[in-house]
Amino acid sequence: MAVYERIWRRYEGELTPLHWRGAVITKYALAEAFSSRIFAAFYMLCLLPTVIGVFLVYLSHNVSLLEQVGLTKEFMGGLTSVFFQFLFLWQALPAFFVAVIVSPSLIAADISNNALSLYLSRPVNRRDYVLGKMAVLALLLSPITWMGGLLIFILQAYLEGNHWGIENWRIGMAYFVGHLTWIVVISLLTLAISAWVRFKPAARGALFGIIFILSGFAQAINAVTDTSMGDLIHLTRAIVNVVMSIFGGPTHGDLPIAFNWFTLAATCVLSIWMLHRKLRAHEVVK
Amino acid sequence: MNKSADNGAPVLELDGLTVKLGRRTILDQLEASFSGRAIGLLGPNGAGKTTLLRTLLGFYPPTAGGAKVLGRDLSIEGKQIRAEIGYMPESDAFIANITAVHFIRLMAELSGLPSESALERAHEALFYVGLGEARYRKVGTFSTGMKQMVKLAQALVHGPRLLMLDEPTNGLDPPARKRMIDLVSDIRDRGTSRIILSSHLLGDVETVCDEVLILKNGAIADSCDLEADRQANKSFVEVDLETPNDDFERAVAALGCEIASLEPGKLKLVMPAEVSTRELWIAADEIGVGIRRLDLKRDSLQDIFLRAMEDH
Repeated sequence: MAVYERIWRRYEGELTPLHWRGAVITKYALAEAFSSRIFAAFYMLCLLPTVIGVFLVYLSHNVSLLEQVGLTKEFMGGLTSVFFQFLFLWQALPAFFVAVIVSPSLIAADISNNALSLYLSRPVNRRDYVLGKMAVLALLLSPITWMGGLLIFILQAYLEGNHWGIENWRIGMAYFVGHLTWIVVISLLTLAISAWVRFKPAARGALFGIIFILSGFAQAINAVTDTSMGDLIHLTRAIVNVVMSIFGGPTHGDLPIAFNWFTLAATCVLSIWMLHRKLRAHEVVK
Repeated sequence: MNKSADNGAPVLELDGLTVKLGRRTILDQLEASFSGRAIGLLGPNGAGKTTLLRTLLGFYPPTAGGAKVLGRDLSIEGKQIRAEIGYMPESDAFIANITAVHFIRLMAELSGLPSESALERAHEALFYVGLGEARYRKVGTFSTGMKQMVKLAQALVHGPRLLMLDEPTNGLDPPARKRMIDLVSDIRDRGTSRIILSSHLLGDVETVCDEVLILKNGAIADSCDLEADRQANKSFVEVDLETPNDDFERAVAALGCEIASLEPGKLKLVMPAEVSTRELWIAADEIGVGIRRLDLKRDSLQDIFLRAMEDH
């Protein structure tokens, strides 16, 4: 029908499956994020640690190329666990900044003009909505974190041979579990902040506040009480300790790793509770 | 005329529907069934109209009782019901920083339309509501009237079986209000989509709806079938006599009129179709009572509404 006829008619075509509707939210939010060229360029930069990691792994196994540049195979002391831990950090940090840039507008834009009532009056419930928004962050962060990390791990295992992959399974596990845990925690946390703080700079500030100021506060508690109890609210230490425990490396503080898992789980539960309170089809005015 | 939803079930069935928010009862044991093309929800502010719509959309869980929309049970088929509904909320509801066509397309895809169909229908819907020329503008830059229209466009883009319109003429100037009412009437007349229109404006409801549910303090104050009343062609007459006269009342009662005394000397009569005002004049002449004023009119929704407000 030509639009100029200005006739309204019922839709008679096929419909997409009901469970697919959350993906529509993801699709549009992703398109919105990449509509900014600056963000697209920044995102490409975030892939740099992975690219560098791949290059270094390749270089360390290319003897002729090493000889041409006057280096030996041992120029990096071999690709030890420390190399992978260092790489992990340089993947997780950009991921955090991507989340900080993208997440404030994910929910706030819908809440500030009551658009949630339009989403939820369709066959989309609050769980679909949150999962759809979380999927945006998961899709953005995965390539620059665990997918890139596993790519490097698999490349190293392939080039090294001799059961290197099996002997160093902890590295692959750390990339996969550590990054995924970080993605889940940071996604829920940033979405919760986005739901409660509508002003983007304020939302970003709140996120930095939770990550960095809370860390300082935790260290102050540790210093005053001469214990490690402050680590219970130290989000970055919790994730670092969890990842290091999987790597099999040293952890910070005296608390058992289970307490670090508890901190991360509590952050997720609190974020879900905040989302549950705020995500309503209409503003609740008391 | 088909007076029920496509599957033969009534459009809306309320079965003792009760909704409490906190300790407050917002909807109190609503019991009714409607099958018309357009159902009006009338009531003063705070009567529970919007709460009823939100409950039907699943935003509030019923505290007791239940409801069926298009024959589907609200408590177990909420998602399926929402798949067949287009909802236009009362307050502003939009995503400010995207274009109108992008916004409507998103809403269409959320309702299940494939991407290409969604884009096509987004253009159609925007042209239909008169925003064709503005469809590439960001919704946040729209005027109040345009935002109302874009809300209507998102409600009907997926061609729902039931349109729920909550105060659609809010904030519109008279020409825009007329245009909105014309559009809603046009959708009603096409007969492919049922309408539930919530409004406190009697004129809007009277123009668009053929069944009306009047709410007051969360309870049903009255309900009426305007279409049936129109077809019954009853006439209503207000008569002012020079002096109160019982003989005149008996005479008009003998003609088959129903009488309600407003005050001494002032009568309101419901006349059967076969009785004309001429016969009232003759009766008055024979009895010898003077008629100061005789006002012939149909029973307007305003009368029904005011009576409902007084009775409850």
